[in-house]
Amino acid sequence: MLVYTLKRLALAVAVTLVVTALSFGLLYLSGDPASAIGGEAATDADIANIRKIYGFDRPIHVQYLTWVGKALRWDFGMSYYFRLPVSQIMAARIPATLILGSSAIVFALVFSIPLGVIAAIRPNSWVDRTALFLSVMGQAMPSFWLGLMLIVVLSVWLPLLPPSGTEGWEYFVMPTIVLGYYAMPAIMRLTRAGMMEVLASDYIRTARAKGLLPGSILFKHALRNAVIPVVSVSAVQFGFMLGGSIVVETVFAIQGMGYLAWESIKRSDFPTVQAVILVFALIYIVLTLLADLLNGWLDPRIRVT
Amino acid sequence: MEIRPIPPVEEILGPSPGRLLRRRIFGHKGLMIGGIILAVIILFALLAPLLSPHDPYVQSLTTRLSKPFWHGEGKWNHPFGTDHVGRDYLSRLLYGAQVSLLIGFCVALISGVIGTALGVVAGYFGGRVDMVITFIITLRLSIPFVLVAVAVVGIVGGSLKVVIIVLGLLLWNRYAVVMRSATQQIRNQDYIPAAEAVGCSTTRILLSEVMPNIVNNLVVVATLEMANAILLEAALSFLGLGVQPPTPSWGLMVSEGKDFLFFEPWLITIPGVALFVLVLAINLLGDGIRDVTAPENR
Amino acid sequence: MRKKFSWLCLIALFAFILMAPAAHAGKANDTLNILHEIELSSVDNYFNTDRWGVVLCHLLWDSLLYRDLKTGEYKPNLATSWKYVDGKTLEFDLRQGVKFHNGDEFDADDVVYTLNWISDPKNGIKSQNISNWIERCEKLGKYKVRLKTKTNFPAAPEYIAAVLAIYPHKYYAKVGPDGMGLKPVGTGPYKGVEVVPGKSITLAKNENYFAASPKGKPSIGKLHIRFISEVNTQIAELMSGRADWIWRVPQDQAEKMAKMPKITVEASDTMRVFFLHFDAANKKGRNSPVNKLKVRQAIGHAVDKATIQKTLVKGASQLLHSACYPSQFGCTDDVVKYEYDPAKAKKLLEEAGYPNGFEIEFYGWRNRPEMEAIMGYLNGVGIKAKIQFMTYAATREKIRVGEVDMAMNNWGSFSIHDASAFTGNFFGGTTDDNARDPEVIKWLEIADTSIDPEVRKKNYKLALQRIAEQAYCIPLWSSNMNYAYTKDLNFSAQPDEIPRFFNASWK
Repeated sequence: MLVYTLKRLALAVAVTLVVTALSFGLLYLSGDPASAIGGEAATDADIANIRKIYGFDRPIHVQYLTWVGKALRWDFGMSYYFRLPVSQIMAARIPATLILGSSAIVFALVFSIPLGVIAAIRPNSWVDRTALFLSVMGQAMPSFWLGLMLIVVLSVWLPLLPPSGTEGWEYFVMPTIVLGYYAMPAIMRLTRAGMMEVLASDYIRTARAKGLLPGSILFKHALRNAVIPVVSVSAVQFGFMLGGSIVVETVFAIQGMGYLAWESIKRSDFPTVQAVILVFALIYIVLTLLADLLNGWLDPRIRVT
Repeated sequence: MEIRPIPPVEEILGPSPGRLLRRRIFGHKGLMIGGIILAVIILFALLAPLLSPHDPYVQSLTTRLSKPFWHGEGKWNHPFGTDHVGRDYLSRLLYGAQVSLLIGFCVALISGVIGTALGVVAGYFGGRVDMVITFIITLRLSIPFVLVAVAVVGIVGGSLKVVIIVLGLLLWNRYAVVMRSATQQIRNQDYIPAAEAVGCSTTRILLSEVMPNIVNNLVVVATLEMANAILLEAALSFLGLGVQPPTPSWGLMVSEGKDFLFFEPWLITIPGVALFVLVLAINLLGDGIRDVTAPENR
Repeated sequence: MRKKFSWLCLIALFAFILMAPAAHAGKANDTLNILHEIELSSVDNYFNTDRWGVVLCHLLWDSLLYRDLKTGEYKPNLATSWKYVDGKTLEFDLRQGVKFHNGDEFDADDVVYTLNWISDPKNGIKSQNISNWIERCEKLGKYKVRLKTKTNFPAAPEYIAAVLAIYPHKYYAKVGPDGMGLKPVGTGPYKGVEVVPGKSITLAKNENYFAASPKGKPSIGKLHIRFISEVNTQIAELMSGRADWIWRVPQDQAEKMAKMPKITVEASDTMRVFFLHFDAANKKGRNSPVNKLKVRQAIGHAVDKATIQKTLVKGASQLLHSACYPSQFGCTDDVVKYEYDPAKAKKLLEEAGYPNGFEIEFYGWRNRPEMEAIMGYLNGVGIKAKIQFMTYAATREKIRVGEVDMAMNNWGSFSIHDASAFTGNFFGGTTDDNARDPEVIKWLEIADTSIDPEVRKKNYKLALQRIAEQAYCIPLWSSNMNYAYTKDLNFSAQPDEIPRFFNASWK
């Protein structure tokens, strides 16, 4: 188990480094940081001056390594747009994204797992078909459309919920639905498939033969085993949600990391973008690492591969 | 003495595998519905030049934002109304089908080739090769795809080609993962070492022994990724990074229509519903193919 | 029993939800909820370049002078009187008895410190040209200062009144731009209560605002400004009553919203001039069709500006023919006008050597529908334009280095009512000048630096006439601006795009 853990950890670190290096390179390709800082009235001389002050004239790998060194101490420099340290800006934005992401995944799980279980108990029935249809439905619409439609219905026609902001729990209801809906089909299908497989297995038949009530069979034996792959898929879905949060946060004006990343990209605010990418990558990598470790612990066969 | 006639071959042996497959396909409601809808949309796309009442690029500022025929003021020369610069919406919808389907197919093709190659190689060879490829897959999943899209669009400018290339180069991960595990399962079957023993080259084994057995997985993933690509194009348009006007695409039309959401809702609803139906149909088709070709059913 | 309990819970939940909105209802708690789409980089007046920075400049701070909206005169604000001593020197007498929001007394030290600090290039304020004309400021007495400019600068009072906020010298020396950005302190009609960077700004009425101010006394108690980038979400906020004031509402939505009972929609002209900007001078040697006069003239005739302005821009916008905004000093309409004539356009193209038209990249970052309309007209004479819609920063850079043949550019002149802020900016040999016409540059230099108004007008006219005749740019229209706000509000919009909340009140 230890070897497995170390191997996975080494992989995680390697991925982090490569991701940040790639994003570093891509960002520099997409715009000139010196003119972004210089702003409107900057002359060529101003920009050349800025290039020297900030060190943009050094070779790119030197710049990258300097950045990595600082990043290890959680120092990401100053934002080019706001006159504030990037770590401070991120600290203010992370909570909103984490709340949004967590409630979205919980929403997805709360609705998909029961649907998957029901579908598995009565496969190919109209219940099964409806459950599948419901879960696929929300995924077939562009998320910004779904978001705007919810705003129209629930904020304008019926003034039930606020269209934007993050002041209280009611502000997160619509964004959670829009973001969470995306993960539903995958989780539902997985639960259904897993449950069906488990329900057909030998030890369930044995339990039934022993005379245990169907309810307890369902929950104590079948669900516990079927849920294992769902855990790792959920971790992965959470990672995806961080990407999807850009659209949702923009539509609902939630000041989170996704929105920060997008606006910073538009403003060529490189230090912020690089920091956000690192954090996103870290969250995703940590989650998959935990999921791998969990799988490895639960199912010893996986450790061998 | 009566001689009983010899029953036909099918009665003795049972229906042929092909027959069985066909029966299952036609019996599966989801697959049929999805397939038919998709076929209809493809037909509309192909016949767009014939069916469109107007040129989808011609603008006419004085007739902008006219209403579709189901509103009181709608006129029949523009059955679905006109958009914000006066282009006929029905024509744009039909030509837009071409663009959206093109994006879906091309992206599915490009990402399919990349992902399948990576997945099969990883699954077949295992060991170091597998480790490297798994590393690459994790890498790809950790990069937020918006960043790549913006960088590319910032340098090259947004267009249909750029959208297809960017999506094609980013959406291969599911192919790789699925094909890898499918190949791993096949790897241990008897006929693989048998082929090796006979002296088949690796390429030959991969192409003629492995691929045919996992091609059903490929088709399922391809259909789902096609739907995904079409939706992502809409998201890119929302951010201003996708296909550029005046090229019609359903994703762009939905994005342009969002600014008229409150008072001219048909501008977003019509392409939105079209997208929805297309994506739904593709999903049903994909699910249906998976159900019908799953090994348990063989 | 359980059923009853769960029903009760549901009812309670619903009641709670229904009571939850209207937490910030405008008139009821004397708070105006304002929405703006772009996050401000800093509240410090000299470290942001967004329009909202100019708005805050007039809310939180005062300047020495204030431009009267009706007469155009420069009224005394923090200065009680002023005069030109010679072409390069101005003297100001300062007002006594004014206090900053933190209690500090206002006097000459604050003016001297502020003006010298912002004109020092090493302090790196974001828009150098609002202060780089200042040579230095000297203290002549506790309430008297002298301002020296580098060259004759007749537009000085305009710049002073428009954007030069006076800072408290002790406070600013201590906290610098970072501190000022988070806890702004000034003399203005509103004072800062809370700044959440990138998210919201809350201001409260300054009860002790000096009575003699030309801005008047503020009425509304609190201003709560939030940043929401998605226009539809802003509109939803206004329609659901959670927001009270939005602007930059797209034309089509504004027209429909005007019919809604609880909302007032106001259309106002702005000084933001839209124009087709050409690389006439072939800056980078890329050789493009627009280097030729006849091609530029052809484009001028190919586009039906009047129809686009009538059907898309609408509102209170004006059709423009000259490279300036009508209210700017020196601006004149007496120039060559390019009427819509596609046949003439095609002929000119033929004469220029392009009988079958050509392909061109058309850059822009705002008002995409209008760009598409223009593109359609160009198509009609054979010019295949491909729209490149990028960010302002990226495009402006490209235009300056000469990589853009044609762009739909726009410029608000920082709301400065002087032709030097527009014509001078784009045709006076600056980095933005893509025409590089030595005669025009000469005329503009004379006009920009002479203090004789007649000389200035004459030279601006010569320059503008040549610019139009050479079609270095094709002026299109001034932008219309739609404001939408709650019916409970008394507010009037101004063409300088500076909403004056200190003049607004509840009905």
